[in-house]
Amino acid sequence: MKKTKTSYLLRGTPSVLLVLGAGFVMASSADIRAALGMGAAVLLSMLLSSIVVSALHKVIPAYAKMPAYLLIITGFVSLISMLMQAWFPLVVDMLGVHLATLAVSAVVYRDAEEVADHNGEATSIKTALVTGIFFTVVMVACALIREVLGNATIWGQPIAFLEDYKISALAGAFGGYLVLAIVMAVINKLTGLHHHIEEKEDNC
Amino acid sequence: MKLVKTLSILLVIVIIFGSAMFALDLYTGPIIDANNAGAANDRLNAAMPGGTGYEDITATLSDLPASVTEVYRETSGLGYVIISSGTTDYSTLPLVVAVGVDLEGKICGVNIDSYGDAAGNNWNTKLTQDYLATYIGQDSTLADVTLIAGVTYSSTAFKNAVADAMGVLIANDMIAAGVKSDLQILTELVPTVAPGFVKPAEVTASGNIQLALKAENGAGFAYVMGEGDASFLAVVNATGACKIYDVEGTDVTAAHEALATEAKAHASANQTDYLAALTTKIGRVMADATDITALELDTFSSIVSAVSFKVGDATYYGFYSRSYGFHQMDVFVIIDENGAIAKLDATQFIFEKEYFMGFGGMNETEYKNGFVGITSDTWTGEEAIIATATMTSNAVKQSTTDAFAAFDSVKGGEA
Repeated sequence: MKKTKTSYLLRGTPSVLLVLGAGFVMASSADIRAALGMGAAVLLSMLLSSIVVSALHKVIPAYAKMPAYLLIITGFVSLISMLMQAWFPLVVDMLGVHLATLAVSAVVYRDAEEVADHNGEATSIKTALVTGIFFTVVMVACALIREVLGNATIWGQPIAFLEDYKISALAGAFGGYLVLAIVMAVINKLTGLHHHIEEKEDNC
Repeated sequence: MKLVKTLSILLVIVIIFGSAMFALDLYTGPIIDANNAGAANDRLNAAMPGGTGYEDITATLSDLPASVTEVYRETSGLGYVIISSGTTDYSTLPLVVAVGVDLEGKICGVNIDSYGDAAGNNWNTKLTQDYLATYIGQDSTLADVTLIAGVTYSSTAFKNAVADAMGVLIANDMIAAGVKSDLQILTELVPTVAPGFVKPAEVTASGNIQLALKAENGAGFAYVMGEGDASFLAVVNATGACKIYDVEGTDVTAAHEALATEAKAHASANQTDYLAALTTKIGRVMADATDITALELDTFSSIVSAVSFKVGDATYYGFYSRSYGFHQMDVFVIIDENGAIAKLDATQFIFEKEYFMGFGGMNETEYKNGFVGITSDTWTGEEAIIATATMTSNAVKQSTTDAFAAFDSVKGGEA
């Protein structure tokens, strides 16, 4: 199959199409601030590692690519984590261990291996940006639902009239996956993305 | 060769990123350290608005009760923050509070540092915040602080924890003690002179009665009464006996007959009659009971009614106690003329029969029979306790202890 730019962009929405990032979405979308923080971390780590991987992919031999790319991703995640601890300690507290596990995330590694490893910097940057932004949008959408309906707060501020009606289950893991599934179904329906992928694959 | 090349590439990556992290740490390290230090102070800042830094002075203080674990001085001169804990009969998990006190001895902030049982005790956010707000501006008297209905045990523990915290500062001459009004002093005397009065609540009264309190369990009434410029506390138990106390806690009944008469009149008009219930119970558990005679007790416990009666030539004494366990309990204790328990019964021992039957094969009949023959000399209280039903069995223990005390007072009066 010819890998077109469009398919790369469409393939760069793992939370919607491939559910690779479902764990991060569930863990980080209980609060809008945490969702934005994790989304920013994913976007930055994806962008920076894509740039470096696409710049070095011809230099690094095939047998060394996997450990090298993992080290690059881990390095950038560590640097981003240090910056977030300094500037956004509250968000880091909310994210807990999930920020550190971004280093071994399939979302970021997949982007490095499948896109950056086979393309130039321009395509890699575009794909990373699209993937990261869509990932962030999905997380924020889930966080909005979970925080408002599950916690009766928004941006940490209480919503008094919802206090008696909040659905606590939405704030937990079960609620996180439930909301993600609903959001994914809505996005798929609105954009028809999964049909586009199937058509492209059929035409290969 | 491949291995060497691979390792070389990885080494270069590690060196580059390691150097980058080292360099970045020079910038972010101090910021992260400052953030961590600030986070450590968050629990103290929650009780001391505007606080910037704190000095731990716990080791320099004397007369620290076990409930007070940490004392800090706010370094810019705002006051003190005390970490104090309390426990309740409801849970063994401590309620830990942070209390901020300014240099004038007024509470400037309170916060629940931790409470292991919060989820099960109705401490919802708004209720908690509203309750905590009642402490702000209070001095050590805590005169205007009340308890929260529905979480009485927890709010009592909270108030006690705050009182202990204030007490430490007063004992070490760090703040001046608040001055309690006579009304407050006398009201706080009620649990001491009438320990059986459960959850006294205000009722309407007139005349010399400034404040009338009725025990929720029907054990009696407490009145703050005025005579001239002085105030006194009158307590009337359910059998009609009355005692008068002054602000020092001294029994001055003999010198204030008029107050006692007025107090008894109000109590008599408003007291629930428990004699009928006790008589009915005696008729059920003691065959051929005759000559049932009501007794007046001079104890102010959970006993709401007392009688003597005969079975043949033997004399018995029956006591009806309304102590408070998980719920209000009605316990009946019958003691023979030698002071040994002849019968013990309750309207319902445990609030759910299924819960009671689950205790290692113990059944209700066995539990009750375990009390028969016990006297006040052999009574330790442990005979009543069921390990996993502490609150309810403590109520039975209290009822039995009160029955023995009432019996002793009756026999002492007969002597």
